[in-house]
Amino acid sequence: MRITTSMVQRNVLSDLNTLQSALAKTQSKAASQKEITRPSDDPFKAAQAMGLRSSIGANEQYVRNIQDAQGWMDSTESSLDSITQYVNRAHDLLLQGATDTADATSRNAIAKEIDQIIQGIKETANASYGDKYIMSGTATSTPPYLLGDDDTYQGNQAGLDPAIPGIVREIGPGVTMTINSVAVEFLGEGRTNPTDGKLLNALRDISDHLKADDGAALRGGDMTGLQNRLDSLLEIRARNGAMTNRLDSATARIDQITGALTDQLSNTEDADFAKTLIQFNSQSAAYNAALKAGANIVQSSLMDFLR
Amino acid sequence: MPISSFYGMQTSLRGLIAQQRMLDTTGHNIANASTVGYSRQEALLSASLAQQIQVSGAGNMTGAHLGSGVDVQGFRRVRDQFLDAQYRAQNTNLSDWQARAEGLDSAELSLNEPSDTGINAQLTKFWQSWSDLSKSPDDQAAKQALVQQAGALTDSIHSVRSQMVAAQDAATGQYNQIAGAGGEVTKIATELAGLNKTIAAFVVNGDSPNDLMDRRDLLIDQLSQYGQVSVEQLQGGSTNVSFVDGTTGTKYPIVTDQTADWAGPPAGGWSPGGQMGGLLAIGKSGGTIDGYLASIDSFADSLATAVNNAYGGAFFTTSAPSGASIAVSAPIQAAPASITSGSGATGSNDLALAVSQLRGNAAIDGVYKAFVAKVGGDLNESQRMQANAQVLADSVEDRRQSVAGVSMDEEMSNLVRFQRAYQASARAMSTMDEMLDVLINRTGRVGL
Repeated sequence: MRITTSMVQRNVLSDLNTLQSALAKTQSKAASQKEITRPSDDPFKAAQAMGLRSSIGANEQYVRNIQDAQGWMDSTESSLDSITQYVNRAHDLLLQGATDTADATSRNAIAKEIDQIIQGIKETANASYGDKYIMSGTATSTPPYLLGDDDTYQGNQAGLDPAIPGIVREIGPGVTMTINSVAVEFLGEGRTNPTDGKLLNALRDISDHLKADDGAALRGGDMTGLQNRLDSLLEIRARNGAMTNRLDSATARIDQITGALTDQLSNTEDADFAKTLIQFNSQSAAYNAALKAGANIVQSSLMDFLR
Repeated sequence: MPISSFYGMQTSLRGLIAQQRMLDTTGHNIANASTVGYSRQEALLSASLAQQIQVSGAGNMTGAHLGSGVDVQGFRRVRDQFLDAQYRAQNTNLSDWQARAEGLDSAELSLNEPSDTGINAQLTKFWQSWSDLSKSPDDQAAKQALVQQAGALTDSIHSVRSQMVAAQDAATGQYNQIAGAGGEVTKIATELAGLNKTIAAFVVNGDSPNDLMDRRDLLIDQLSQYGQVSVEQLQGGSTNVSFVDGTTGTKYPIVTDQTADWAGPPAGGWSPGGQMGGLLAIGKSGGTIDGYLASIDSFADSLATAVNNAYGGAFFTTSAPSGASIAVSAPIQAAPASITSGSGATGSNDLALAVSQLRGNAAIDGVYKAFVAKVGGDLNESQRMQANAQVLADSVEDRRQSVAGVSMDEEMSNLVRFQRAYQASARAMSTMDEMLDVLINRTGRVGL
């Protein structure tokens, strides 16, 4: 083949261009630390990386949601714990008041304390997380109970009644959890609804029987009634505890998944630094060699040797 | 017939003149070594008509033929028309993919993916805002943040769409600059018609206007960049040049003999290949970018529909085209507090939750992801095809240059060759001169 001057020049130039664009690409890889900077670099991997980023973003959100739910559950749990302590105290008082040795005066005094306990329990049920009342269903701006003699539940049934959505946290893809407790479920409405057989009613009955000096009622129905209320309170605490456990394990699972996703994202789009640098070095060596060879080829001609 | 004493002088003179023409041609080649489209030339020499002389011993009068030197017959350009046709086909293909790659490159750039600021990232943040709202359903700050984030998302969608439209407009504009009335093709057509006229005038006289023909070939090379060309050589040195539709084979004349025919692209659709074909493929209505716009619109549409359905009201408003018009509805924008997070009391969050659970939805996030992969894939293919076409075009161009290009080494050696031949002819002439000197000045001087 006849090799002409312009052919040599064009080939040298196009080779240099090819090497230089490869160098530029490697350089941008090294600078950005990314294997993929544009979708066309590898469309499949780019889409994969986008999906992974979305998943990581979602998981970060789930973790925040779970943390919020855990705070909520902790508040609920500490309220329930206080209520349990109140009930235990009421139980002690009931034992004192139920004995035959107790007279009307001492029973009256005990009744006063029971009344205080009722107020204390209602106050505890009015606990809030942030600025939200945690036991009013979704009526988070309304305290569940008014203090005083009115035991009417002020909130709603959301979360307790399956038909009404309660306060729900999204704790995973498609996984939700209702985190609110409805105070009326275990406290009832006391005097407003004397037949609901819940805690406030039991305590109101005890208070009434103490004031009426009715030892038999105290020893009979009241004793078993309070015991049953304590049991159902413990059940609810067990349920809450199980939910907290579920949140804990969800956190652990999401942490693991996020770790795996981050690794995968890094594998998908991050540049291998050592590999990139070696690539860069070999490419720049090739570029230098091509420059040198090109300079020699382009410069020399027959003219150098003719007189 | 007697032979003149000066016969040899004449023979040498012919040699001197011929070698001088060869040197001139070499000089012309060297001067044009880097002229684009130039094909090297060479002088055609042949021995001049021999002198018939009578020689003793020959019985008849036909005698012998005494050589009389050399004549320059003409100058020809060294060029392979077959390689020209091959180069033009490859050039058309290369320009086609080049135009596509360039157009799609700006379309891809407008996506700004993967990044922390593209639509994908905005979408993730948008879902997060809903999730945050579901945690504080009546929080003004959360609602305000949601409206801001939704605004950022719709802004990103608008900006991507408008940049795609700009890329489309740029492709269409470039196409019109090439093919439209008064565009590049028209200019070339006019020049070609003029060249055809001039060349024909020379060819009629038996001349070969090499440099004009080079110029004509270069113009046809340029046309082959714009679209697929067909060249028909006419008797008398003129040509017919037309674009050929790659699908139907229909010819669209650019130049017919000495008339420029090009008055703009055909009214209906056509597939001319080359830069025009590439620009049409991405820019025309129903082209690649149009498809992207439709994808963005349908993405915006399904986003708005899904969010509005889950929200149970008009959170987003859209009008055709959705991608350019999707926006947070005016009442919500005016009063973010009017966002209802739940269907129940203050603390209910079922609506916000329902929207937030759209995250990762195949019809929203999935559609967008697939769209980005499609844009990336299209560009990737164009770039790969462009690289392939470049290799092919380069190799044909190499073969063409191998035939037609100027090799400096060759010209230098020719220079030496022709210079020596010139010197030798001059020496032959001095020999004749010395011979005549003996005859004229030294003969018949016996005794002087």
